[in-house]
Amino acid sequence: MMELLAQTGLNAVYAASYISLVAVGLVLIFGVMGVINFAHGELFMAGAYAVVALYADMHLPFFVAVPIGMVFVGVLGLVMERGLFRPLKGNPLGGLVASIGFLMILQSLAVMGFGVRMEHIPPVTQEVWRISDKVGLPVARIYVIVAAVVLLSALWYFLKRTRFGWALRASAQDPEAAALQGISITQTARIAMFIGAALAGVAGALTAPLVSVNPHMGHSVIVTAFIVIIVGGVGSLEGAIIASVVYAFVHTFVTTFSDGVLADIVGLMLMLVVLIVKPTGLFGSADRA
Amino acid sequence: MTDFLEMRNLTMRFGGLMAVDGLSFKVAHGSIHGLIGPNGAGKTTTFNMISGFYTPTSGQILLRGEDISGLAMHEVARRGVVRTFQHSTLFAELTVLENALVGTHMPFRPNIFAAIIGWDREDRRGAEARAREALEFFGLEDLLDERAGDLSHGHQRALGLAVAYASHPDVMLLDEPFTGMNPEETRQMMELMRRLKADGITILLVEHDMQAIMGLCDTITCMSFGKFLAEGGPAEIRHHPAVIEAYLGGARHVA
Amino acid sequence: MLKPMMFLLGAAALIALPHGLSFSQQEILVFMVINILLVMSYRLLTLTGEWSLGHVVIMGVGAYASALMTKNLGVPVPLGMILGGVAAALLAVLLSFPLFRMKGFYFLIGSFAAGEIIRLIWKRFREPFGGVRGISGIDPMPDFSIGFYSFDFFEPVSYYYFAGAIVAFCLWVLWRIEKSPVGLTFHAVHWQDKLAQASGVNLRAYRTLAFAIASGFAGIAGALQAHYVGTVNPNSFDIEVMVFVLTWAIVGGTTTFYGPILGCVLLTVINEIVLRGMGFEQARPLFYGAIMILSILFLPNGLESIVQKFIPRKSAAKSDRKAEA
Repeated sequence: MMELLAQTGLNAVYAASYISLVAVGLVLIFGVMGVINFAHGELFMAGAYAVVALYADMHLPFFVAVPIGMVFVGVLGLVMERGLFRPLKGNPLGGLVASIGFLMILQSLAVMGFGVRMEHIPPVTQEVWRISDKVGLPVARIYVIVAAVVLLSALWYFLKRTRFGWALRASAQDPEAAALQGISITQTARIAMFIGAALAGVAGALTAPLVSVNPHMGHSVIVTAFIVIIVGGVGSLEGAIIASVVYAFVHTFVTTFSDGVLADIVGLMLMLVVLIVKPTGLFGSADRA
Repeated sequence: MTDFLEMRNLTMRFGGLMAVDGLSFKVAHGSIHGLIGPNGAGKTTTFNMISGFYTPTSGQILLRGEDISGLAMHEVARRGVVRTFQHSTLFAELTVLENALVGTHMPFRPNIFAAIIGWDREDRRGAEARAREALEFFGLEDLLDERAGDLSHGHQRALGLAVAYASHPDVMLLDEPFTGMNPEETRQMMELMRRLKADGITILLVEHDMQAIMGLCDTITCMSFGKFLAEGGPAEIRHHPAVIEAYLGGARHVA
Repeated sequence: MLKPMMFLLGAAALIALPHGLSFSQQEILVFMVINILLVMSYRLLTLTGEWSLGHVVIMGVGAYASALMTKNLGVPVPLGMILGGVAAALLAVLLSFPLFRMKGFYFLIGSFAAGEIIRLIWKRFREPFGGVRGISGIDPMPDFSIGFYSFDFFEPVSYYYFAGAIVAFCLWVLWRIEKSPVGLTFHAVHWQDKLAQASGVNLRAYRTLAFAIASGFAGIAGALQAHYVGTVNPNSFDIEVMVFVLTWAIVGGTTTFYGPILGCVLLTVINEIVLRGMGFEQARPLFYGAIMILSILFLPNGLESIVQKFIPRKSAAKSDRKAEA
């Protein structure tokens, strides 16, 4: 029993890692641009397909494919910023619809390029890091955990210690005041969009060998990300990370000890309860919506 | 005159801030009652408590002896206390007539089933007659089909009052009705209020324009830093030392 | 004189319409008619200013309720359809307690969560909802005859007439509601909820009323669909269908009564007939997505704004008074 608990805990840490990468990106975009990016799950999917193309089909090394995929998805984010969100500034419902349109385009491109069937990618490594006979974690999952810790720490440093980061936080808090301070809103929006998309992309790229890659994989990702950002408080990066951990543990444990659908229901209930009791989220304070 | 609307120990605290602190005063039926005080005295907060926008931290608001504090805004309205808003809060997308029709919501309560079958002709006619009457009262009868958002500032103000008046209120709470008006508009607005009073409506207003307040009100309550300061007729208040001091260096405003 | 003539002409065109179409196009037509009711019920909800992402699931509630009642309890199909609508409306009243504590963005997300929970409950519980595979073998609408026309519900044309008549009636009711003082109050709640409240409007009651009516009609739409297709399953009411409803409403525009109909008809024709006809099977979502983006970029006020350019704007009250006179 102890072993099962420990194993489930390890699995939850892995889940928390990639969920927080996706959710932090979504929060960053919402914070700076004020739009809900419905295509965020498809950015995750695009990252996964980048690895399918570069690593599985073109046989590039995995650790070359992942950064390329990350930058590629970041560029997709820039395309969205320039093509959709900038012209639709001040029209959040429009931004939402446009991001749904973009979602359909990405899905459709994935279907045309790779087919509807699920892609199974050759494993990067078969090694398993063992704690005991029954408890262990595949090294491929450890890559995801390490990447999440490194990238989120780097993001934290970037936001708190650099001028760009300061500008980004300022415009997330109060765009008008930030503009008066001489911060270019367009510039910060571009950076936020690139980083936010790239984080979703790298999460997709890293987990590609561990899951079945398919054009519709974004759906469950976006639902999870919504739950996490609501529970964490919309606009709070720290809240998103904490909520990712909470959600991952709840979901993984319910899945292990009961079933996956019930785990989804529990997750959504958690979100609904937070919305009813404290709409600003458990860890959020500012209300931007 | 009877005690019609009475505030008893009204208190409103926002976190550590005492916005209104133990305020008590009475509004007599059929009078025009002014609530004045320097900026930040808690006038608007008091107003929001009476209209049901805020729930008082403690204290009571009695209307004909019934405690109405803490009721929702529409419940307060249904007891005959109808408020207007600062600035031009209107249904900007709707026409002037439609705005006034919303004002008739209480006397002519819509019924969805009657509306679908068409058994509410009488009510609709009555509502429209009342809406037109209210608009005429405020001189807006020629603007029925204009979009409310397209009206001039003065007309928007008048429409705000017409919407409230259309509901047959007993008490009208007017939040700074003279702000941004030129002397001519102010004079016209004062005239309208006197006519409302003649119509039997009790008026409680919050206002900065001392000229208007002094010329209009039967009774004036002055508050400062959330507390009751003084009360009396215009002449009394004008020469009240505490009031003059509260408007520090503002003797010329009070004049 | 002109108006009744136009009306008769329009009705005749709608009756003749399916006879010029292929079988598969007739089927699309049936779905389109049902979807018009769906998007129009959605519009009623948006009148009060709230945008929900759970509307399609509510439609599913009507479908499931009607399917289960006719199948397990032996309720006649027409009654089942009505009860499906009632069930959806009642559920909406229930959902309004948690959901109307939220507004705007939070309502959007909250309605999505509530909808997903309902959908997952269908998925999880095989009794009575049939789990992932849903319910099949739902009783079809029994054939009947009205003298000059016999309904044979294996024919899409018959179902088109049947559903069309019900939808037309429902649209008439929605129209009456919108043009009534109740509809005016919905608008008032949307544009200035505080002022509406100061005029004595019970905001919660009116929001709930709009939500319940919208859900009731969505439920009827769901029941119409269930008894036509013969099966329901959780995936036929997922977020992708909701996305279609959202785009019909937004691309068409929601300030006029005809806006969402315009959006639904045009996008359905483009998606199902033009793109399919041009042989873009896999690329259909690509074009559809592109059309969504282009229309939101270049027609932010919807297709209705084009129509409005040619027809001088009439206010609701004005046209009402003419009708009264």
